[in-house]
Amino acid sequence: MLNEQALASANQSSIQTLQRFNGFRAKRRTYLLALLPFIVLIITYELAPLMTMVIRSFLTPKTGEFTFANYAAIFQKKLYRDAVFNSLSLSLFSAGIGIVIAFFGAKAIYESTLKRRNTFMSILNMTSNFAGVPLAFSYIILLGNAGVLIHLGRHFGISFLENYNLYSFSGLVLVYVYFQIPLGTMLMVPAFQGLKQEWREAVSLLGGGSVRYWFKVGLPVLLPSLLGTFSVLFSNAVAAYATAYALLGGNFSLLPIRISEQFVGDVLQRKEFGSALAVMLMVLMVGVTILSNWLLKRAGHQRSTYGK
Amino acid sequence: MAFIQFEHITKRFGRNTVLDDINLDVEKGKLVTLLGPSGCGKSTLLRCLAGLENPDGGRIILDGEDITNRQPSERKVSMVFQQYSLFPNMNVFDNIAFGLKIQKIPQKQLRTMVEEMMAMVELQGKEHALPRHLSGGQQQRVALARSLVTRPKVLLLDEPLSAIDAKLRKSLQHRIQQIQRELNITCVFVTHDQDEAILMSDIIHLMNQGTVEQSGAPIELYTSPKTSFAASFIGNYNVLDGAAFAKLVGEPAKPNDVAIRPETINLTLEAPQMQPDAYVLSGEIMEFSPHGNVIRYTVRVGEQDIHADALFRSFKLFQTGQKVYAIVEKRNCLPVM
Amino acid sequence: MANRGKQKLNLTIMVLLSAYLILPLGLTFLYSLFQEWTSMLPTGFTLRYYVDLFQDPGFYLPILRTLIISTVPVLLCTAITILAMYVIVVHHPKWQKYMQIFCTIPYSLQGVILAISILALYSGLPLPFSDRIAMLVCTYCILILPYIYRGIQNSLNAINARQLIEAAMLLGYKPLAAYLRVVVPNLLSGITVSFLLSVSLLFGDFVVVNIIGGSYYPTAQMYLYKMMFRSGQQTSAMIVILFALTLLISAGVLVLQQRNKKSVAHKQEVADGFHTI
Repeated sequence: MLNEQALASANQSSIQTLQRFNGFRAKRRTYLLALLPFIVLIITYELAPLMTMVIRSFLTPKTGEFTFANYAAIFQKKLYRDAVFNSLSLSLFSAGIGIVIAFFGAKAIYESTLKRRNTFMSILNMTSNFAGVPLAFSYIILLGNAGVLIHLGRHFGISFLENYNLYSFSGLVLVYVYFQIPLGTMLMVPAFQGLKQEWREAVSLLGGGSVRYWFKVGLPVLLPSLLGTFSVLFSNAVAAYATAYALLGGNFSLLPIRISEQFVGDVLQRKEFGSALAVMLMVLMVGVTILSNWLLKRAGHQRSTYGK
Repeated sequence: MAFIQFEHITKRFGRNTVLDDINLDVEKGKLVTLLGPSGCGKSTLLRCLAGLENPDGGRIILDGEDITNRQPSERKVSMVFQQYSLFPNMNVFDNIAFGLKIQKIPQKQLRTMVEEMMAMVELQGKEHALPRHLSGGQQQRVALARSLVTRPKVLLLDEPLSAIDAKLRKSLQHRIQQIQRELNITCVFVTHDQDEAILMSDIIHLMNQGTVEQSGAPIELYTSPKTSFAASFIGNYNVLDGAAFAKLVGEPAKPNDVAIRPETINLTLEAPQMQPDAYVLSGEIMEFSPHGNVIRYTVRVGEQDIHADALFRSFKLFQTGQKVYAIVEKRNCLPVM
Repeated sequence: MANRGKQKLNLTIMVLLSAYLILPLGLTFLYSLFQEWTSMLPTGFTLRYYVDLFQDPGFYLPILRTLIISTVPVLLCTAITILAMYVIVVHHPKWQKYMQIFCTIPYSLQGVILAISILALYSGLPLPFSDRIAMLVCTYCILILPYIYRGIQNSLNAINARQLIEAAMLLGYKPLAAYLRVVVPNLLSGITVSFLLSVSLLFGDFVVVNIIGGSYYPTAQMYLYKMMFRSGQQTSAMIVILFALTLLISAGVLVLQQRNKKSVAHKQEVADGFHTI
């Protein structure tokens, strides 16, 4: 179809530039137009909102002066102090419980036959979609005031069940743990692939058992993935909105809900304060990531028994 | 009584019989090699001895005790793996000390033992290094040290040098042999490399498809293979079936295959005198290639191609196409099953 | 090694976890089928809650809105990103790391922060910026950007885009044509997975649509939230229906993943063969 000449000249210029592929240099820069929609999208809906929010958090409403007052208010008012504290503890607890369960779940997958592994992973996949409003509702009919398990407790005289209060901190942890399990387990599964069978066998031959293997070799090797997954679970929990909203509305002070309250709803809009709260949320997320990285570095310089 | 005894060991994986009624003895203080192609069962047998696999039938006796049902941690057996032996999160010292810590050896004594072992494998000064900073050869030396420091009854090595590059392999082979002799420790070595086996072993057990085909000292195995498999695996034998050999030498056909070592075939340009104990064959050089300090000629005799090896003495090269005479003593034509 | 005991333990763990995870789901399903559950066992089996839902015209609109708002942003985002990747793949491979940074930031913005920051910035501005639906679509685009980008990047790596471009250019194609006619069709099958993943993500979203959409664009999730206070059984029925829809989408993902594995291997062979010309 293409004639010889066209082919030859195309060959000529193409081969030259493809020697070291730093990208095909066209004479006119019109190709950059293809990047335009993407850049527009990123700037308008990712970078601009983010930057304006951070800037706004340092401004006084109405006057626009630079101030730390918004951040101070977070810690001065009990409502918002509680929000930070509650979000932090709820997320730490649920992520902590979640990572432990995820470890044993992923370990079970790692050590199981193909069929069991696939079945379990399909169940995890399926239930990872179950979150937010539907999840909250399911727990209400399970453990709410007229919940099925409450009835069961009453019937069998199990007072713990009978008197359980879902609309409390522990109730929230319970529901949050539910959606941490599939996410955490699925994130940990690949990490176990990095454990070599030889290490397990070597420990065994040197006289050690399962427990020693996991404490001395398995867990240390998995530590980066464990901490990384913990960070993801933490971020997931601290920013979770739908589940808490559906379960407790505004009755329990949590950061995401307090944040949205500043921008939507009947209460007076307080954009600057809300932005400060949002930045606070990001700081919590970034903080945990930095902390886990630091912990990793420390674990890297393990103290050796030599030289003591 | 032998130090290690395998009695009627059988092992199946699904429908595959990997070990078929193995009966084998290992003398104390010897370096014994299980040699064979992949899939012959040598690694499985080794792992049965370690307790990492459980045989479906038979017994394993070590130092007078039946260890068939014992856990790996209770057998006093150590193993060096092909790769990934070392614990990646511990430095060299802690890797080697691992087994001693489990035995609750006191700190001072532990330190001495580890340092001794490190000197033996010539890794002094590397106590703080992490496995990922070591070369393959260094890692295997650490693995060796770790396996020996606990004074096991038997040291097992599962193709430990397969992942090491060729140049380094030779020195490690010598070092392993040296250490084994110095400590007088019973060693079972698994490899598919016949040169390695011949170099290092006191006894070689050649395995094929789940059975032991032939056992013996290296030289014995090399010069007297009993089956055509053994002949084709060890050395560079020409293995000819009975009819082809008969045609070659002009004799009535016998049922057995015949194996001839290339280095026992003499090539000359001039017709030699008739000899009663040797066959004289005439043929043509088809091609030749250098192998180290030997030249391997492919000589066509009749319809048959045979290999003849000659020491590489530079002024005596035959050329392709030359007509030559091949002389081979009758006693070097070994009948094999 | 103590294999039997270990296997039993692991099976127990997996069974327990599975039961824990399925329990709320199963319960919701049961709840939607009975009129009353005030004592130990429910009474009054009926399908009327489902029938009521299907007969209620007000039910279909939110579902339709959800379906639209779940797919349009994905299509838009995919198109924009594929176009942007043209510049990176063909002309400036070194810019890939910046691309990656911008496409990973939304991960840490999560739902609530992204939603309020966009709302705060644009709600006061004149149209078209303050139009809620436009805001919603664009917010969703950013929300799913990490997944779309990762899918495209993995796909590009798998089909060895560079080789395809080189081969096509040697045959006389101009760069853009080479990209559009050779690389993109091979991409499409690979990105279907992240495409559907994003759709199911948006399908289940509540936080963004509640904050930005509000009463301007009530989706299924919001309709569900309101229903929670009206009728428990009806809510259960709706949850089951919505969940079934999400499962359908995920099942689609799995099926396509299987088919994808074979086709990616095939494409690699084609690219290799192409390149040896």
